[in-house]
Amino acid sequence: MDAADLEVRRATYRRFVELGRAPSALEVAATVATDEATVRASWRRLHDAHALVLDETGELRMVNPFAARPTDFLVAAGGRSWYANCAWDAFGIGAALHVDSEFDSHCPDCEESLHVRVRDGRPDDTSLVFHVLVPAARWWNDIGFT
Amino acid sequence: MLLFRSEAHVDRWLRGRDKGAVIPITKLAELATAWWSDRVSPEWQPHTREQNQGILDGLGLTGPFWSLG
Repeated sequence: MDAADLEVRRATYRRFVELGRAPSALEVAATVATDEATVRASWRRLHDAHALVLDETGELRMVNPFAARPTDFLVAAGGRSWYANCAWDAFGIGAALHVDSEFDSHCPDCEESLHVRVRDGRPDDTSLVFHVLVPAARWWNDIGFT
Repeated sequence: MLLFRSEAHVDRWLRGRDKGAVIPITKLAELATAWWSDRVSPEWQPHTREQNQGILDGLGLTGPFWSLG
């Protein structure tokens, strides 16, 4: 991962945080004073390096822990909100931004609403459990399913 | 990578499928802090597999299931 790709990655994350949504390639290009094709080429290399995830059309799908598409993990932190890719990422947004956070989800079994507040890295409801279906060695075989 | 009301809810939801790993939400919170805290830092550099395995190991997430390979 060279310096130019790291700069595109930094700009992609910065714009995602600022906008509360995935930035377009044009928005990232404007941030780093380059062109859209250069950003898309960097995104592809970053995808191959597991530094972000593109969808089948080449648009951002995951800028982990942020999700580009709506999910069942809506996170509020620092007066803004983002979707997270999974429960791990729902905690990850507050951790990445170094702020307290809260998020809404549902138990996949009973569909009960779950609302978790995270203060100083600790959840207020300690009765919940986290299930990881796929062994760690296979997480990136299909990161969307994982 | 989902959150459940309890382990009994995980078992019911699986309907006989193979179970993965179940950890308390408090452990997940620790894992997220260790895993993601540098992610939006301007100084971020890619983690090596050894670094990531070290995070898992340090939290007691060991054994074949938690091996990154």
